[in-house]
Amino acid sequence: MYGYLEGGIKVELSDVLGIREWRQNYQNNLENQFPKNVVVSVKLNIPGEVKNSQVLKKILLDGWMELKSQFEEQNEQLLFLRLILDRITGPEALAVLTGTIMEIKKQAINFEESFKLGRLFDVDVMSKDDKGYQLSRTQLGFEPRKCLVCNNNAKYCVKEQKHSIEEVQMAISSYIKKSEQREEIKFDLSQMAVSALLYEVVTTPKPGLVDPASSGSHQDMDVFTFIESAQALHPYFVAAQKIGNEFLGDNLSQMFNELRRVGVIAEKRMYLATNGINTHKGAIFSLGILVCATAYLQKNETFSRKELANTIIKMVRNLLEDDFQYLKQKPSEQLSAGEIQYLKYKKTGIRGEAVAGYPAVLKVGLPFLQKTTGSLNQRLVDTLMYIAANVSDSNLIKRAGTVEVVDEIKKWSKAYFKKGGSKTVAGINYLKELDQLFIQRNLSLGGSADLLILTVFLGKVEGII
Amino acid sequence: MEIKKTAIAGTLESSDVQIMLSAGTNGFEFELESDVAKQFGDQIKETISNVLGMYDIKDAKIKVVDKGALDLVIKARAIAAVQRALDIVDAPKWEVL
Repeated sequence: MYGYLEGGIKVELSDVLGIREWRQNYQNNLENQFPKNVVVSVKLNIPGEVKNSQVLKKILLDGWMELKSQFEEQNEQLLFLRLILDRITGPEALAVLTGTIMEIKKQAINFEESFKLGRLFDVDVMSKDDKGYQLSRTQLGFEPRKCLVCNNNAKYCVKEQKHSIEEVQMAISSYIKKSEQREEIKFDLSQMAVSALLYEVVTTPKPGLVDPASSGSHQDMDVFTFIESAQALHPYFVAAQKIGNEFLGDNLSQMFNELRRVGVIAEKRMYLATNGINTHKGAIFSLGILVCATAYLQKNETFSRKELANTIIKMVRNLLEDDFQYLKQKPSEQLSAGEIQYLKYKKTGIRGEAVAGYPAVLKVGLPFLQKTTGSLNQRLVDTLMYIAANVSDSNLIKRAGTVEVVDEIKKWSKAYFKKGGSKTVAGINYLKELDQLFIQRNLSLGGSADLLILTVFLGKVEGII
Repeated sequence: MEIKKTAIAGTLESSDVQIMLSAGTNGFEFELESDVAKQFGDQIKETISNVLGMYDIKDAKIKVVDKGALDLVIKARAIAAVQRALDIVDAPKWEVL
């Protein structure tokens, strides 16, 4: 027996036919009780003698919760609900909602099309106002339901009994498995984010930055501080992923607001884990956005670099105005590096990057990483030095106290690549010299390191590394 | 046998059929609604006619709304409709079941 049917009981034809008449009577009764509202029946299409099991109950419940929150998005109210999970003929939900039958039906079809296991669901919508008239999918401009086995119009496959019950059950089983696998892939995003944080810190040598051999220009932290910080942020990335995964509205700045709320908590967790040291504040902001946007796009199966940039732009479109508007009133000791630089040089830093859809990652870091060769460490060192020369690093500017350092880093990066980069002894020795110079001048490439983290994350999402 | 009262069996759910029987005077008068009427209309009518025949019904108005029901479902719903129409719900004609 297939896993999704495990523990189920066989039904008779008379059970199925009897329960249908019961349901119709129940629905009629609801229509009479709520003559101005819409009655919704949610069931699963499970052909075969076994129609209920633990797995199927959970599928129905997950689906109902999803559908319910979609109705709530549209401000429809739930007036009545009866959930029947244990019936041998299959789990089901009967509900009454406000709204017009047309709108509710459209949402129901939308759910059948978009929910991860939507093709197993059968959502019927009816109303007293609409006696005897059932709106069909085609009447509402949707395609007819497709057969899980052959993808043709399901109606004919059922009527002609085109597929054996074994074929149908195998198709359902693999449909459920695929959906579970998609979930697992998505689940990995939070782990990829933590990996990205750890990859950056172990990459060596890096001018002025913390690695396992040196604390660079950061006397107050070492590689262990970063390990603690990265671990502490895992729940945040899980939350960011969940927000992206579950967001259903059109207004993506709302999704960003949800993310920022959990971001505030993440910052506190980071400071607790590091005894008050800022290790990953920039990454909390940017990596959280990338995780959330990636989850959002993966759910809709529309992930691409272009779509990612568009989604982020929509998420943060109010960010510059919202964040910089009141800066002048803010006490100077509370200002962050990015905020001070905005006031000083009008450089919008990481917020500007976000608002533009992270061109420093998508157009600079990631395409470069894709072309690199050699060991993972060699690829990441080269990518860091390339990013440092091609973007403006707010951390570097802050530490140097002057924007002139931007020309210097361009010169250093050029010299490094001229010596052959990470794959030559000369290149690595040059980086070590540079590290000493950075330590003497108390410089660091913190901003570039953050961008390397983001690049690594997307590299992992895309399978580049 | 003569139909004594109007009776309904079945539902409008997918893969079901709703059959309404009422008294008639002119043989079987079908009114059929089905998305697959073109291919299966005659077959649906034949299945129902056979059931009515088993109960010796000669005249009836038969309204059928088919939602893609399989033959055995149509048969079961037809039997239920007949039994309700003839008021023999408590005494089913087991030999035809």
